[in-house]
Amino acid sequence: MNDQILIEKAKESLKDKVLEITNPAPRRLFMKVAVGNLLEAVNWLKKEMGFSHLSTISGVDLGQSFEILYHFANNFCSFTLRTEISRENPLLPSICALIPGAILYERELQEMFGITVQNIPDPRPLLLPDNWPAGNYPLRKDWKYERPAEVIPGGKK
Amino acid sequence: MNFQIPIGPQHPALKEPIGLRVVVEGEIIRDADLRLGYNHRGIEKLAESKTWIQNIYLEERICGICSHSHTTCYVQGVEKLMEIQPPKRGLYIRTLVAELERIHSHLLWLGVAGHEAGFDSFFMYVWRDREIVMDILETISGNRVHYANNTIGGVRRDLDELQVKHILDSLEILRKRSEFYKNLGTKEPSFVARLAGVGYLSKEDAITLCAVGPTLRASGVPMDVRKDDPYAVYDEVPFEVCTADTCDVLGRTVVRIKEILESYNIIEFLLKNLPAGPIAVRAPRRPKPNEVISRYEAPRGELIYYIKSNGTEKPERIKVRAPTLGNYAATIKMLKKGFIADVPLIFAAIDPCIACAERAVAIVDARTGQEKVVPMNILRQSSQKKSANKERKREVEWPL
Amino acid sequence: MLTKLTRWSRLKSPWILHLNTGGCNGCDIEVVAALTPRFDVERFGILLEATPRHADVIICTGPATRQMKDRLIRIYEQTPDPKFVIAVGACAMSGCVYRGAYNVIGGIDQVIPVDVYVPGCPARPDAVIDGVVKLLSKL
Repeated sequence: MNDQILIEKAKESLKDKVLEITNPAPRRLFMKVAVGNLLEAVNWLKKEMGFSHLSTISGVDLGQSFEILYHFANNFCSFTLRTEISRENPLLPSICALIPGAILYERELQEMFGITVQNIPDPRPLLLPDNWPAGNYPLRKDWKYERPAEVIPGGKK
Repeated sequence: MNFQIPIGPQHPALKEPIGLRVVVEGEIIRDADLRLGYNHRGIEKLAESKTWIQNIYLEERICGICSHSHTTCYVQGVEKLMEIQPPKRGLYIRTLVAELERIHSHLLWLGVAGHEAGFDSFFMYVWRDREIVMDILETISGNRVHYANNTIGGVRRDLDELQVKHILDSLEILRKRSEFYKNLGTKEPSFVARLAGVGYLSKEDAITLCAVGPTLRASGVPMDVRKDDPYAVYDEVPFEVCTADTCDVLGRTVVRIKEILESYNIIEFLLKNLPAGPIAVRAPRRPKPNEVISRYEAPRGELIYYIKSNGTEKPERIKVRAPTLGNYAATIKMLKKGFIADVPLIFAAIDPCIACAERAVAIVDARTGQEKVVPMNILRQSSQKKSANKERKREVEWPL
Repeated sequence: MLTKLTRWSRLKSPWILHLNTGGCNGCDIEVVAALTPRFDVERFGILLEATPRHADVIICTGPATRQMKDRLIRIYEQTPDPKFVIAVGACAMSGCVYRGAYNVIGGIDQVIPVDVYVPGCPARPDAVIDGVVKLLSKL
């Protein structure tokens, strides 16, 4: 089973739900779907193509929208599913029902970008400290951090 | 009657802070929960304000034990973005340091596992042998940890004849000692009895919870990035993927020992077939706008980097997923079936690269809210007492 | 007389607590390697302790992250007097490469007072032993 066969099967099973599919390097496939068809695409990948290992979920801030990438892996290919959501109303369906191992990655997306993941089993923040002020999403491009001046003990001010 | 026990941020099994909260009924753990974030430093945001070369040194310090893994994975991705191909000799040296790092990391883990199982002299023996590997790394790169050997386009330091001979001689000593450990492990019934049956993770659970590395391979699933998605020179080197069938901590120990022995063979192959030539090519300053995924088999599991560039000198987005994060969901599942005395061992078995410093555990009675602090060495003693009363089979089969 | 005895015993065998406040682990494995047979500090009487209440010296590695700040202060207060703090590694001294990250305050001396600084990234086990010896000569 190589990349060409995977591309043909994707076009055959999902037909026009596939917005774009590219193969930039051997063993790397990138497929774009709309948010509404995300669960169906993940289901197809898991049940029919045998991709049950999710490596991670990345979020990218594109300025006007967020792009979410789901990286799946298998013995012969690394398949990435791409979807885009708007910045004003960032809603994403959770895939934890299909892939229970995705819970930690979705929690990280929620707190770093301010995305709301619907039906997530456990919405607590993962990495940020307890006293982090709400409403600050560090990985957004417009969030800047100014380091406060530090005090050197016994040194010049 | 349920007790809730918070464990951490200071922890026995390794050296990084995380908070673990377990709900206990009697001695059996009913539920477990993790609080990460003590070690969160904001590296992904910081990487967007440094240039491509400065990021090599930043990514190296994500983890001290597997620092070469992080730099190699990053540099591989950036080389694909810049569309350059490093020369063969550079790739061979990169793979050599990667396998040396795998040996040193697994030996470190073996020592820690011995310490958690109560076998302190094993810990001292293994770490003494680890010093041989650290000496090799120091002659190759100049530092014991954080050997900044990678650069975009190849490696920075070359090997000469004397160093190759030194490595091959040290390998002989290490092989003899590893045979000694293998026999020690098989014929030491209390060590094996302590590890068998602890931290059970079935094959289906390991796949659905997306476990990685030796934790996955000890449940019988042969997934290894070096075979599935070969990078550097792994498509030219003959080696085997090591698995075990017992799905518990004993299986993970076996997988790691087998990987050490495989690494000795790989290093010997690399040194005997080292090609001549340059060690690096020149890299451009700016790559074209593109994105790339880079995967690597670190000693703890699969490491994945997603790098996106926008045509300038600084990256647009670098996303890192370290292997231990992939094993956390599986850890919770393993803890739920275990006893409180097994907590240090289960935790050490996934080889956490995010660990803790506190060594006292506060036990909270869920009904009255009273707190009692129990030092971890008492918990460890109770874990050793538990295995002392277990029935010991005199002829234990070592599934090697 | 009694003070001389206690001072001699503190000098001859300090008990240490090893604390990591969010670093990369490089300095930690070097501190643990100082206990192993090649460098072997246990022959000097230095014992690795499990809880802050038994320790004389706190060896800290790693930069101070925001989440660990309160815990660090609490552990410092739990250690009985007289206590000393050794900051090992460039991260504990000033933050190393992480200066400017949003979750890192800086070195440990922004949170607790430090007696000895041991530089290096990571600091070699020989340097850690040298730091402990210099601390003892200050007593």
